[in-house]
Formats: sequence, structure tokens, C-alpha cells
Amino acid sequence: MDSIDIERERGITIKLNTARMKYTAQDGQLYALNLIDTPGHVDFTYEVSRSLSSCEGALLVVDASQGVEAQTLANVWLALENDLEIVPVLNKIDLPGAEPERVIREIEEIIGLDCSNIIRASAKMGLGIEETLEAVVQRIPPPKNTVKDPLRALIFDSYYDAYRGVVCQFRVVDGQVAKGDTVVMMNTGKEYTLDEIGVLAPVKTPVDTLYAGEVGYLAAQIKSVLDARVGDTVTLKKNPAADALEGYEDVQPMVYCGLFPTDADDYQDLREALGKLQLNDAALKFEPEVNNAMGFGFRCGFLGLLHMEIVQERLEREYNLDLVTTAPTVVYKTLTNTGEELTVNSPGDLPEATKRQNISEPYVRLEMVTPTEYVGNLMELANNRRGEFVEMKYLTDSRTTLVFNIPLAEVVTDYFDQLKSRSKGYASMEYKITGYRVNELVLLEIKINGEPAEPLSVICHRDHAYRTGKALCAKLKELIPRQMFRVPIQACIGAKVIASEAIAPYRKDVLAKCYGGDISRKKKLLQKQADGKKRMKQLGKVEVPQAAFMAVLKINQDSDS
Amino acid sequence: MACSQTASGFRCFTALRSRRGLTSVARAAAGPTAAYVHLPFCKRKCFYCDFPVEAVGLNTEKPRTQDRMQAYVDLVCAELKATRSLTDAPLTTVSFGGGTPSLVPPQLLESILSALQQQFGIAAGAEVSIEADPGTFDLQRLLQYKALGVTRVSMGVQSFQEDLLKACGRSHSLADVYAAIEAVTATGLPSWSLDLISGLPGLSLQGWQHSLQQAVAAGPDHISVYDLQVEEGTPFARWFSVEGSPLPKEPEAVAMFEAASATLTAAGYEHYEISNYAKPGHRSKHNQVYWQCQPYYAFGLGAASYTRGRRFSRPRGMQEYEAWVKRFVQGGAGCPAAELPVESKEEQLLDVIMLSLRLSDGLALQQLQQQYGQETVAALLPTIQGFLQQGLMQVLPCDAQDVQQAEDAIVPGLSGSSGTVEVDADAAYMQLCDRLQRGKDVSVRLTDPAGFLLSNDVISELFAQLDSRTLSKAL
Repeated sequence: MDSIDIERERGITIKLNTARMKYTAQDGQLYALNLIDTPGHVDFTYEVSRSLSSCEGALLVVDASQGVEAQTLANVWLALENDLEIVPVLNKIDLPGAEPERVIREIEEIIGLDCSNIIRASAKMGLGIEETLEAVVQRIPPPKNTVKDPLRALIFDSYYDAYRGVVCQFRVVDGQVAKGDTVVMMNTGKEYTLDEIGVLAPVKTPVDTLYAGEVGYLAAQIKSVLDARVGDTVTLKKNPAADALEGYEDVQPMVYCGLFPTDADDYQDLREALGKLQLNDAALKFEPEVNNAMGFGFRCGFLGLLHMEIVQERLEREYNLDLVTTAPTVVYKTLTNTGEELTVNSPGDLPEATKRQNISEPYVRLEMVTPTEYVGNLMELANNRRGEFVEMKYLTDSRTTLVFNIPLAEVVTDYFDQLKSRSKGYASMEYKITGYRVNELVLLEIKINGEPAEPLSVICHRDHAYRTGKALCAKLKELIPRQMFRVPIQACIGAKVIASEAIAPYRKDVLAKCYGGDISRKKKLLQKQADGKKRMKQLGKVEVPQAAFMAVLKINQDSDS
Repeated sequence: MACSQTASGFRCFTALRSRRGLTSVARAAAGPTAAYVHLPFCKRKCFYCDFPVEAVGLNTEKPRTQDRMQAYVDLVCAELKATRSLTDAPLTTVSFGGGTPSLVPPQLLESILSALQQQFGIAAGAEVSIEADPGTFDLQRLLQYKALGVTRVSMGVQSFQEDLLKACGRSHSLADVYAAIEAVTATGLPSWSLDLISGLPGLSLQGWQHSLQQAVAAGPDHISVYDLQVEEGTPFARWFSVEGSPLPKEPEAVAMFEAASATLTAAGYEHYEISNYAKPGHRSKHNQVYWQCQPYYAFGLGAASYTRGRRFSRPRGMQEYEAWVKRFVQGGAGCPAAELPVESKEEQLLDVIMLSLRLSDGLALQQLQQQYGQETVAALLPTIQGFLQQGLMQVLPCDAQDVQQAEDAIVPGLSGSSGTVEVDADAAYMQLCDRLQRGKDVSVRLTDPAGFLLSNDVISELFAQLDSRTLSKAL
């Protein structure tokens, strides 16, 4: 059901997706099954939790060659919290590396699910499909029949359509709703007449009426995202429900970065695009930001690095925007001399060293599930990243959980990639925010050609500052193209320079070929060069390519490996 | 005189309208008086070459080759005769390029010149230039060319080192080079030019200086110094894409450019375009048509023309070109690419900036302001100021009466290293702004060699200042 290009390319699910199918079961009856496909990655847990509260049951699909992963555990706990019937399915049993018996044992031992009637499937080969559908019909309870009650429908997703306005996906919890009904959004009080309701089967199929238990969509020329928020309850104007359904918790972003349009003219377009993405991505937060190097843009909050990458990629692809992204940072807190606690989303917001008492950073409890042979590698990784060992649990004789308390800043960057590469792809991870802790943190500033490069500044631990500064200078030296003059790059804490590099000036950039009357080729080359320059951001007098703003990420990779 | 022989019986033009005073737009609007003819045949294709070329083998006398040349020249003449003359003024420059035009027998050249004469007229005293490679001509052939009206030979020597000639796939030897120089000198043409290529694989600074000295000793009126450009799809691109290539590294390449500038300037050649040097009065008239954004006809395989405000490149494949000529002749419009839109004012502006800054005459800012608006020049000025400060640009006095005044004023020197450059640059910049305000001519040029060496960077930086908003306001 993955429909976004990025999902197809990366083979992952980032957005929940719904579909309805009709199935004639072995008992001869026709059933309508409403399905929701959810993401698995830790960044998107909130999508999963929203989906689960709209369901009666869940298919737990486990890869027969991979086994139980950290995210499997996290998602099963969520399903159990929502009191769902869980149907375990073992997928990819056709793979040569499949170990169904081992994986079944893991599911039984780790999760504690009864696997006596587990379904062995291969979606690719078409194995186990019939059994899965039968299991849904037989084992998952039907929705409560509350068709007589006043309408309450929970909006769990929405998106903007150029012709229909905001399109909401919802589940009818109680009552029924029909095309032409006038409805009220219970939290915003807004009223709309429904132009169209329907089901996704899997393409939009209009219907006249939807009843309790059904999942569908509605369109009512709703202009603004804010008028039909995810988590709101839809009821009928003429027969309203007394209480709204419990909505969703507001998710808090964990990582912030700056997004700036390459072309200042695109600022308004970027604002609109972010607004549209936010419509069906409640975790995305943004507010305007201005700085000397990058001009006007937005400070955006995300759940994690993958989430950030995906939003950036969608903005570039679906909205055709050229963006410069600054290095991601977590949300720090600082206590000023006047006793005020400030939230710091951007290193630039940090008060001067003399005006603050301390800086604290968010910590997480990190659980890594890994085959036992990679325990050493992963211990080393967590230790390098300021992790504090909490415990080690043997899940089965070949699988271990490692638990660490670790600063979120260390986890949100490339930790997941490192975990995968150090475990040949077998380990998985999950984390939960546990709170803030005061640490020896410093503001590491970068100066290019003597000018402070605010978007490149980072907050880091004092013990790591020298290494980080040195690596950052070296990386920038590699990434910033040579200029017509010598460019010093310095890493400083306050006034103290702790590392420096310099880019030698280049001296020759000339086309002195015989072109005759064909000037167009020469011009094209120069225009391309000019476009490249427009894409670069001016820091002081030095042009800095986009890649440099992400350099902070790359240095960790380099110093780890 | 050779010219009068071929000109007899044809229209004869003597009074030439002075075109110098015209602005580039007015010049582009006037009809073309320059023609380029592409003759694509070569003995073999050099390893760096990406021009439309047909390799015919070392023995060019064999009938098959001669037939192909005849057929090609017939095709070019057909194109030429189907092309409508856009002005009453006759051609003042004709240029035969290639390929190796000197492989084409004199009688074929004559038929092209006759066709040109008939169709457009060739002015008395016109510059008629032909590219010629050592090993493809002797004194007799040059005398025949001269008799047909050729006034200028441009000789592709490329290097005075035997090993380098081999390394870049030239079909001639060093002995051929010296024989060719002797022949061209003996012919007594009004002007001749010698081409060198710097940056060849394995070239050392010492070897380069040797070639420069030999070039000067040969006594040409004009020297072109091209810099090797490794183009996609050439053997060089395939061989030298990996690390550790034998191509000179940047410091050596810079030293080579500087050596050419110093040696040739000292020998009395004016560095009037990035890759061209001329004795006084011997600048290439035809190439200046390109560089001053004036219109020109072009005929033949892959040839690029600029007529009626349209830049058009003919097909580079022989079959495609043949088919195109057929359609063109049948179409009867007499003007190629009439369906293409006229080059926009934005495009023209970029052309003017790019081409002017590659010339020692520089970019005339007052004219630019008149044609492309004050906003355009205003958008460029801060960047120009920066380049003046970096010693990459200098301000040129324009009218004769201002020269003295300008000499009294401070103009930054050619060397960018002087400690006072910044102070001087600021004074020069103020002078420039002052002249612009008073509506007086003023130009900026790239310094030689520092500015020329970074010309791409400077020009593209100026391009980058011209965003669509500025342009739409200005134009």
C-alpha cells in the first residue's frame, strides 16, 4: 500500500495507509475488512499508535529470516496496550535464510505470544494469504454494533487535495454518516456539509453511507488543516454526541534543524508546503527562522533523523523546492544566571557562556536487540557515544538485549546506521525519552574566513569538543570548494581556537579552448557554474555548499569507523 | 591582386559602412558580413578533439576521399546558395575552419568562394582565413590559396615537441612543422597565425617555454594559445579520468598560462583575448565578430550561425546534416532556423558579459547600462568592486580625451599582489561609478594573467547576480 515514491524506493512505510477489501470467507459470508498499514521504524511510532487505536486487531508480521527486532517489541507492546487481538504471521518463509523454527521460538519466548497456530506466509509467493484472511475473520472480533448511537468518528489522518480541500481519513466508532450530512468537528466547532464520503479499496470509491466499525474518507471543501485536525471527533449537527472521543497526544519533536530555500523567492512556497505536509504529519513542527548566512527559512522539529530526511525529500520532490538543511540538533535546556530555564532548539539561541549556569540535554533509555555475537561491537558503539550501561538481558540463547542510558543527541544522528553496520544488519533498536540531565556541554563555534558560521555551530560535550572541532574543520576543508583567496576554518569555544585548517586558494579556472562561433557550449558551462553558485550559501565572503551544513553528521561516522 | 581575379565579374563593393560605432544590439540587427565555412575532413582525429570531424586516412589523394570531399563541398554550396543575403553590405571576413580545411583541394575551395561571392559578395580587402595543418600543404598549394583570395593562414602546430605531437594523436611530425613555417613565410600572406596547445599530457614548464620560444622565432603575426580541455567522449577523457594522470597539475598549468602571457607580450604580441595574441593590426577580424556579438553566417557540418537574432548549430552528423540541407533548400525560406525564437535580451546580455570579459577591451558598462538598464549594471557593481579589490579586474579609460585624465588617476596595476591594490581599487571603483553617473564611457576588463586565469569564476559570479527578478525589472 506504500504510495509515496520514497516509500517505494526505500522499501519502507513512513505513512500509515488504509484499504478496504471484500472477502468471502469459508463460512460463505461476505466480510468487509478495513486494513491499515503502519510504519515500523522508531521515528514513526506515533503513526503506529494512532493506527492501533482505530482497530480491533493486529497482524504481527515477523520476517522469518530476521526474527524479533526491537521495533517488533515496541509495536507489540503498543498493540497490547490498546487491547488488540494479535495474529502472528511469519513472512518470507520462502527465503533461503529463513529460520521459521528459531523465529517462532523467539516470538514465544520474547513476546510471550502463543504461536501454536502461527501462519507461515510468503507474500511474494502467495503462500498463507488465505489462512491470514481466515484468521482475521475468525479471530479478530467484529466492531461493536453501535449504529443506533449518535455519530462519533475519529479522524486519524488527513491530507490536502487541490480539488477537494482537506481529505480526512476516519473510523466510524459509533453511529453512521451519510453523504450530504452536516457534521461538526467537536474540538474546533467547525461545521461542514459532506460533499463526498467513501472507502479506499484501495483507490477512492465513493459510498453513500458508512456505519460504525467502518474506515473511510470524507471531503467537504475544508480549507485549512487547522479546522480538521487529526484526533478530532466528527459528529452530526442534528444529533450530536455528548462527548468527543479521546484524541491523540500531541507529539513532541526530538530533533530540530533549519530548512532554508536556496532561492529566497521560494520562502512562501516552503511555508505552504510545510503546512500541507503538517496536515498529515502531526509530528512535524515549524517556525520561521532568520540568520545572516541563510536568510529566511524555518526551524523545523522532527521525531528523528529518518523523519527529517523524509520530510526534506518530500519537500524537494513533491513541492519542487531546493533546500539547504542545517545540521540537526536536539532540544537542549539551559539555566540562566537569573534562574530562568530556557529551551534551546538551535545552538544560536544559547545565551552567552557568562550568562548561563548550565546546559542540560535529553537522555533516552536505549534498547538494542542483537544476535549475541555483536554484543561487543554494540557495547563499544554505545560507550563511544557517552552511553551508560544499564543491563544486558539474554532473550534466548542467541539473542540479547542491551540497555543503555544515553544522550539523545548521540542517538539521533547516525546511530541507527552505525548499529546496522556493526551488526551486519541484524541488530535493532528502540528508545524512550527519560528526562534531562545537566552535562559538561559547550558551544563549539565554527569560523570561516574569520566570520562565525552560525548554522555550523554545535553543542557538544567538552570531552568531545576537541575531536569534534578537529574533524569538523577537516571535513569542511574537504567540502568547501577552493576560493580565489586563502580561507581559514577555525573551531572555537568562546574566544579560544581549539582547531583550525585552511583552504588554499585556487588559481586557474579558465576556458581557453578554441570554440569558434559556437559560443553556446561555453555559455552553458558558465551558466551551470553560476547556478552552482546560487545554490551555495554565502558565509562571510565564502560560498559554502549544502553538504557542508550536514558535515557534523559525517564526522561521527568517520571517527567511529 | 588575387582578390580582383576572383572578384571580377561579380558585384564589387568598396564603400564600407563603419560598424564600429554601432552598439552590439544595433550590430546584431544589421545584416551579417562574416561567414564561417566548416570543412570537416582530417587525416585522423586527434585524441582531444570533439569537433565534428570526418577522418579520411593518411592518403588523401585516393579517389574515394576526393569524391567525398567533392560531394561535401557540393552540399555546402547548395546550403550556401539557398541562404538569403540579409544585407547589401558584402562579406568582410570569411573563415574556413575544420577539420583540416587545407586537405580540401584548391579548386573545391574556389567553388565555395565563388558561391560566397555570388550570393553575398566579398569586400575588397576582406579577411579570408583558412586553417591549415602542417603536413597537409606545401608552398605551391599556399600560393594557389593566395591566388583564390586567401589572406590569412591559421596553422595548427600545437607543440614543438615531437613526443607531444605523437601523444595527442596529431598526424604531423616536427619536421612537417618547420617545413610548413618555411612555406607559409615564403607565400607572403598579409597575415598568418600559429596555434599552440598548453596543458598537454606530459608537458613540462620547460617544454612549454621551448614551444613558446620556437613560436616567436617562427615570426607569425598572430598566436593562439589554447588550453587543453578534456572533453567527454574523446580518447583523452577515457585515458585521463583516473587519478595520477599525466596532465599538468594546477601550479604548472598556471605557470604555463603566465609564461605564455609574459613571453608573447614581451615579444610584441598584444594579449587581446584570453587565448589569442596579435602583433599590432593583426587581430583576427573574423573571431572578433564572434566576440563582439555581431551576426555571422555559417555553412557546413555542425557549423553555428548567428543571423536575425538566432543562434543555430547545424547537425553534427553527416547524414543528419545532409537531410537538413535538403529540407532547407526545399523549404525555400532562405534563412535557417526561422522557427527558432529570437535570442532573448537576457541571453544577449549574458553573451555580451561573457565574450567582452574575455577580451582586453573589456566590458563597456555605459553601453551595457543603455541597452540592458540601470538595474542590471547596479546588480553587477558590488561584485565588480570585489574583483577590483582582488586584483582580478581593472578599470579602463575609454575615450581618447580621457586617457590623460585616467593616467593621472589611479588605475590598479596588472599584478594583483601589490599591497596598495585595495586602496587603488577603491579609487578606481569610485572613478568608475562617477563616469557611469556622468554618462561617460567606462569599461572594466580582467587583469592579465590573474583575472584571465579565473575568468570562469568571475564571469559565472556576475551571471549569478542576474536573477530573474533583476532582469525582469531591468529589461
